[in-house]
Amino acid sequence: MAFVSPSITAFAVEATEFPDLARKHQVTGVPKTIVTAGDAQVEILGALPQNAFVEQALAPVSAATREPEHQTKS
Amino acid sequence: MPLIAPADQEKLREAFGEMTSAVRLLFFTQTLGCETCLQTRQILDELPPLSDKITIEEVNLVLEREKAAQYGIDRVPAIAILGEDASKQAKDSKIRFLGTPAGYEFMSLIHAVLLVGGRPPSLTEDNRKRVMAVTTPITMQVFTTPT
Repeated sequence: MAFVSPSITAFAVEATEFPDLARKHQVTGVPKTIVTAGDAQVEILGALPQNAFVEQALAPVSAATREPEHQTKS
Repeated sequence: MPLIAPADQEKLREAFGEMTSAVRLLFFTQTLGCETCLQTRQILDELPPLSDKITIEEVNLVLEREKAAQYGIDRVPAIAILGEDASKQAKDSKIRFLGTPAGYEFMSLIHAVLLVGGRPPSLTEDNRKRVMAVTTPITMQVFTTPT
């Protein structure tokens, strides 16, 4: 995903070597993916099929683009 | 003694043979206080002999902090994978590895090198479109363990 999009950066983090990062994101099982877009963050547990993974990983930006709609409704 | 077994070296040489563009691995390290930097360097050093398309460039986190920051690296060992664009200029793939690329992580690193070296992405066409439509900066951290 990072390779395809100029907006995405991907880190593969070795959890045992960086316990501070693992603790910060409460990593108790792997793989665990943390997706951060501005203030929005989602966690993806385990390995998912590609469609599901892409959908969940892009959820923070999908939410950001939908936000104006919610505001007009309320 | 090589860290990569001779049989695996042959498989890698064959896989790397299909690379169509050059890949540079920026290896971020520091001299003191990094227990796994040496092992990471040893693993990386075994790749260029298997392909003339792969090069390693060492970046010292302490001495070249600005360069590290440019790649979003604030801890070591770390690897940033650079490819090249159509005009052979260096192009950041924005794929990073934090920690020693051993065990499963080694295979992930090899896959990333092959991808940046020209192998078609495994994303389906629909997913590729979805991903390319992203304009907001996103950071993905995939936590793994070597086993």
